[in-house]
Amino acid sequence: MSQRIQRLAIANRGEVAVRIIRACEELDIETVLLHSEVDINSRAYRLATKKICIGPAPTAESYLNIVANVNGAKAGGAQAVHPGFGFLSENADFAQACKDAGLIFVGPSAESIRKLGDKVSCKALAKSLGLPLVPGYQGEDQSVERLVKEAEAIGFPVIVKAAAGGGGRGMKVMRKSQECKELIESAQREARSAFGSEKVFLEKYLDRAKHIEFQIFGDATGKVIQLMDRECSVQRRHQKIIEEAISPSLTLEVRRKMSEAACLIGEAAGYRGAGTVEFLFQDDQFYLLEVNTRLQVEHPVTEMVMGVDLVKAQILTAQGDAVFGHLGQAANQRQPHGHAIECRIYAENPFLGGVPSTGKLGTVVWPEGPGRRFEYGFESGDEITSYYDPMIAKVIVWDETRPRAIKKMKKVLSESVVFGVHTNIPYLQEIFSHPEFVSGKMTTRFIDQYFSAPIEAVAPTPIEEKVIQEVKRKVGQTSSGPDQANESSPFSSFWRGV
Amino acid sequence: MRYFIDTPEISQWVEAEWIQGRFWIHLNGKTFVVEDERSKSGRGKRSDTDQASDLTAPMPGKVTKILVKLQQKIKKGEAILVMEAMKMEYTLKAGADGEIKKLNCQVGDQVVIGQLLAELQIAPLKEGGSPQ
Repeated sequence: MSQRIQRLAIANRGEVAVRIIRACEELDIETVLLHSEVDINSRAYRLATKKICIGPAPTAESYLNIVANVNGAKAGGAQAVHPGFGFLSENADFAQACKDAGLIFVGPSAESIRKLGDKVSCKALAKSLGLPLVPGYQGEDQSVERLVKEAEAIGFPVIVKAAAGGGGRGMKVMRKSQECKELIESAQREARSAFGSEKVFLEKYLDRAKHIEFQIFGDATGKVIQLMDRECSVQRRHQKIIEEAISPSLTLEVRRKMSEAACLIGEAAGYRGAGTVEFLFQDDQFYLLEVNTRLQVEHPVTEMVMGVDLVKAQILTAQGDAVFGHLGQAANQRQPHGHAIECRIYAENPFLGGVPSTGKLGTVVWPEGPGRRFEYGFESGDEITSYYDPMIAKVIVWDETRPRAIKKMKKVLSESVVFGVHTNIPYLQEIFSHPEFVSGKMTTRFIDQYFSAPIEAVAPTPIEEKVIQEVKRKVGQTSSGPDQANESSPFSSFWRGV
Repeated sequence: MRYFIDTPEISQWVEAEWIQGRFWIHLNGKTFVVEDERSKSGRGKRSDTDQASDLTAPMPGKVTKILVKLQQKIKKGEAILVMEAMKMEYTLKAGADGEIKKLNCQVGDQVVIGQLLAELQIAPLKEGGSPQ
């Protein structure tokens, strides 16, 4: 039952909104951007066919507001809604509300999201399928006293996580009984604020594991294929910073077993569209961690090595079309080609331990070239506010081998220019030069082990100092007048103050 | 703006721009931010002695929880308040043993970077006590 989508609403912001707009343009689909008041100063706003403001800046009143998003999509005349990642993308109620309103939700069904997206029920399903899991507590009793007791029973270190979400929000590692109460309460608050539910669960924290995940894709006929793996071991506060495809650490045999496990759970949940099955991998053993029932931030690395367009495939699948036809019957056996690496550019100050850096973007330059891809949602003149995730762009490179891809990434980062806010680029540059990263042996503790302290700012050399003074003279000593870019915003007075 | 620099040592395009009293320049693969002359001497370095006694916001955001009361005795590393910015929670901890002298914020306050949130009366080091 094919239903042609003519106009699609985007319930998201930033670079993923731009990514979805690009896919729609190539499929001759119009777009409706559902945005908050402050996001009129963003690239997606400038690219979308139609724009509908769904509320003020705070996420609870706009991007997390189910009714506002559904009403916005209807008002904009859309037949479908793409939720992107984060926000409502893994919210079964939103998927259901879209369906009830006669909108196609670009993603799995509400039932699949309930089965897999809620980490607790996902583990129950995995267990019933005989898939390996990390020991933990997924009970309904969410009292702090019970959680502390369970943590003690599992044995430290134990990690507490939000049942409803990902992206590092609502996750804390507990190393001793005394700190449990504080960390559990903090995780519950973060979970409520980020996902609307304070349900958490506990898990044994593996301390030298790698994070390896498989891209799965359920087509319109109900078949689930796998599109190889990504390694995302470089994480800070459980938020991924660097992702690559494919992992440099898996043997053929382990890769085959993991991909089979990934497809198995996808099929058991009747999965449709793009999804990711995350594993922890330690001492040649793998443990199913969670399933993300959505497009991932790091989907570009899979696209680069597998030669697919996951966003277009999602939209085509949502309207009932066959996808990956060019891969034929052998879609599941398709081999990756070369190596791709992505890093996330965050607006933060690497010299102050990564505290968020907000402000208006000045000059921004992304150095184009062969095998380089830039996904960004904000341009010169746009403001990075403290309301949302600090990610301003993703830089993706592809090359024939991992060492070449690393070399290319270092070159790209050194040529990338972002003025107006500090970024983590200097921090990333150090990571890409670190011997453990270069060796491919890094674990999820990599950042804790080697990059827990703020990095040192490098002072200009005498020659550079001379050049700086010379350019300063050329530019003139004064800063330019008030910026024009945001003057058109009717809300400027509102968000200037933040 | 792009400028072509042609000196015997460096011959390349550089990006440079003044933004609100700071000079941003990208040169040799690095971005330098030069404060204007007035604040240059103290560039980015707040004195560490103050940090132990004053609790300032490390970033703009919202105060979501205050875990201490006025005059409460606290230990170094103890959580004083919780902030939220960009959907992440940050717990601000005491830099030293002491007592809460003043609380300058309330739950729900939007605060700016560097804003004074609480003041601490540092406890004198005990004789023979080993600092951690």
